[in-house]
Amino acid sequence: MKKLNWTRKTAKDLLFTVMIFIVTLLAGLFLKFSLDASDQIPLIFVLGVMLIALRTDGYWWGIAVSFLEVFVINFVFVDPFMAFNFSPYTIPSAIVTLAVSLMTSALTIQVKEQEKIRIVAEKEQMRANLLRAVSHDLRTPLTAIYGATSTIIDRYDELPKDQQLELLRDVKNDSEWLMRMVENLLSVTRVTGDDVQLKKNSTVLEELVGSTVSKFNKMHPRQNLHVKLPDHFITIQGDAILLEQVMINLLENAVFHAKGMTQINLVVKEKGKRVVFEISDDGCGIPSERLGSLFNGSWTSQVETADSRRSNMGIGLSVCYSIIKAHGGTMTARNGSRKGAVFSFTLDKEEDDE
Amino acid sequence: MSNNKYKVLIIEDDATIIRFVETVLSTSNYQVITATNGLSGERMASSHNPDLIVLDLGLPDMDGLELIEHVRENSTVPILVLSARSHESDKVAALDRGANDYVTKPFGIDEFLARVRALLRTSRHCADSCSVPGGRFVLKDLVIDYDKRLVTMAGEDVKLTQTEYNILALLSEYAGKVLTYSAIVRYIWGANDSGNVKKIQVNMANIRRKCGFNPGDDSYIINELGVGYRMKDGKED
Repeated sequence: MKKLNWTRKTAKDLLFTVMIFIVTLLAGLFLKFSLDASDQIPLIFVLGVMLIALRTDGYWWGIAVSFLEVFVINFVFVDPFMAFNFSPYTIPSAIVTLAVSLMTSALTIQVKEQEKIRIVAEKEQMRANLLRAVSHDLRTPLTAIYGATSTIIDRYDELPKDQQLELLRDVKNDSEWLMRMVENLLSVTRVTGDDVQLKKNSTVLEELVGSTVSKFNKMHPRQNLHVKLPDHFITIQGDAILLEQVMINLLENAVFHAKGMTQINLVVKEKGKRVVFEISDDGCGIPSERLGSLFNGSWTSQVETADSRRSNMGIGLSVCYSIIKAHGGTMTARNGSRKGAVFSFTLDKEEDDE
Repeated sequence: MSNNKYKVLIIEDDATIIRFVETVLSTSNYQVITATNGLSGERMASSHNPDLIVLDLGLPDMDGLELIEHVRENSTVPILVLSARSHESDKVAALDRGANDYVTKPFGIDEFLARVRALLRTSRHCADSCSVPGGRFVLKDLVIDYDKRLVTMAGEDVKLTQTEYNILALLSEYAGKVLTYSAIVRYIWGANDSGNVKKIQVNMANIRRKCGFNPGDDSYIINELGVGYRMKDGKED
């Protein structure tokens, strides 16, 4: 598969290179015979080399064309026509043309490389942010679990039963929270790794939402959740487990962070070729200074205070963002028109192939 | 005394998980035997003749899938698989090789015990009546009359097509157990064609609509995303 892709890319690059070369050659002939402006021909060729370097993979196409053009210019456009003439008179101009072409090609490729490096750096930055936030957020519940269980073991006979039970409940809560954290981490490694390992399957929208809602209802039985779905049969190409996690994260986000929230809405609508998922609540909303950096996981560690230990909001959201991005969708957050926060994301509908 | 209890064999290499599962099962009145690797697990499965096997797929000495195949060569004992998340394909492979159900780690004790009960019940039930569906299936408001091929929901007739009825009847026959997409395709159309998964999904959507099952309502049929469907057993909560 990889090999096939590689050959296809090479064929495409070759086609592009040949096309540009022919176009520059024709332009050169036009300049020479129609406008009698031979002195401008090398410029056209340098432009061609730049285009080729910009659009093809690696150095080789640009360099090959640079050399080729020197010979072609000499052969076609320099007296005597249709013959090589490497004399002290033509060599300097040939060398200059070659040098300019090579440098253009090298510079163009460097710009391309820098763009790649920038993207990698951005990804690294996001991972570093996540890791920092995660290691902090793992330490707190782990400390609590360790402390509670040691206390129970050490003071087993002295501690009254109800106090032991209370400590054990905390241990259970903290473990549940750690589980969620680990789920999120697993997803991050799946979508931000070097090769994204999405297990895309044709997933039925109402089954995806149904399964999510029933999971959520089990975790938060007293929560008021309204669901609205399109009436007809829609499927999505996606990793169902990860998409389910996006919705669970967003729903739980409302549970844990939207102060004063009484109701959560999960509305799915069709919009052309896409499906829009919208999760809104009637809680306290999102402070406007946080809206900009909500999805990159960067603010979690900065605004951390001692009492906000359930602070994995930033991590959960950046995980959601990465998952949706890996599915080719978009994700936004805003405050509702009256009150509360609105998170929405879009995914492509699966085209009917029947 | 202990002879009256169901015998459950746990094959799992992690001592903590064994202890927790063993405690849960023995306090729920099951007799528990344990094996910490695949080889001794296989040996105990044939010598102790357990009523149920709880199997961790990630064993140190052999692939859990292989063990399922070996056990299935001469036994129909129900097998409950413990698997880690993010391995949906493993679950499907285990079910298709003869495992009866799976629980995803981390799991809660309620969920685990419900599956154990369901498996023991269906295996006992299947021994005498499963091969020829007769009589009626009742689950809350849903009633399936196998002889008349009739489905009612809270007393109201539900008009299903032939395929829809066949799928619903199939799921009810194996209530409590996950049926993978490919297993359903095999039973309904007799061929293993992955293109048919879409057909099942469309039929299921129709069944849900006609029976009035709302999304998120787990009281009748549970979507096991990426794996298949499971009809609830009458005695599950």
